Amino acid sequence: MNIEYLIIVIAIMAIATFATRLPPFVLFSGREQHPLLRFIAKYTPPMVMTILVIYMLKGVNYLAMEGLFTFIALSATIATHLWKRNALLSICVGTATFMAAVQW
Amino acid sequence: MIRAALKTTLPIFFGYLPLGIAFGMLFQELGYPWYFATIMGICIYAGAAQFMAIGLLAASAGYVEIAIATFFLNSRHLFYGLALLNNFGTWGLRKLYLIFGLTDEVFSLMSTIDVPSGLEKSKFYFFMTLFSQSYWVLGCTLGAWAGTKLAVNTQGMEFAATALFTVLLIEQWLKVKKPLPFVVAIIASGIALFLFAEHMLILAISLSVIFMIVLRLTNKNLQDEY
Repeated sequence: MNIEYLIIVIAIMAIATFATRLPPFVLFSGREQHPLLRFIAKYTPPMVMTILVIYMLKGVNYLAMEGLFTFIALSATIATHLWKRNALLSICVGTATFMAAVQW
Repeated sequence: MIRAALKTTLPIFFGYLPLGIAFGMLFQELGYPWYFATIMGICIYAGAAQFMAIGLLAASAGYVEIAIATFFLNSRHLFYGLALLNNFGTWGLRKLYLIFGLTDEVFSLMSTIDVPSGLEKSKFYFFMTLFSQSYWVLGCTLGAWAGTKLAVNTQGMEFAATALFTVLLIEQWLKVKKPLPFVVAIIASGIALFLFAEHMLILAISLSVIFMIVLRLTNKNLQDEY
């Protein structure tokens, strides 16, 4: 346990993390209306969301009960969302379903 | 404004609180004072990177190694700003804070939801970011400070993140109304998973953006969009 080491590590990680979030805003400051940038801005969110969902689901062990629970909870989330289109409700239903399944 | 931002970020609360608690509990096993978990949540504010930090700290990793590992792990954030260039208002402390707080979950919400009418966008985003970080810091602190004493069974609550991204994916689908970006992202993910499964995020996101640019350069219909 070395407090000085920890403090330096925290500082380095804080800077390194910020360094990944800042560049687009600095590089493209004032050029927001460029057609190619607007095109990328439009299509990045749907692509990132697709990739994040795949990323979250790739770690699941589909041969264990976890796979079945994930499938059920995901179906519950999607069904609730298509039915009510209330993000919070869909997330609560899905999460509660998954929690109930893994805890019992 | 504050109530609307609280309501909007509530899904993030369910995701960040258990994840933060899990981080705090692991961190506390390293033997450092609990409040350093709070400081990490405030200063670093990156879920995956903080979990990685536990391993690096335990191994007494070198500073350069830590800087490179953190940058690489978070490099997907390089693309998040691209989608929000117009949304953070003029340069100032508020904009810097919004950039600092641009995590996966916050980015996903911001790029999908519509700001309630009558509210100033960058102000609303400020509260979204502030609340989201508060949930994370609260989780980190609780976990490190009282982790072993917590009676609540949060097992399985981490599914909230999957549910959040799934819901926002549906919203994006309803908004974009064409399959192209989703198909491109699935193909890019397939390639990234095949090439390096553990760090697929940055490769998949870079590839999909590159694919979209190539498609635009070679396809007249996409060029006409803007």
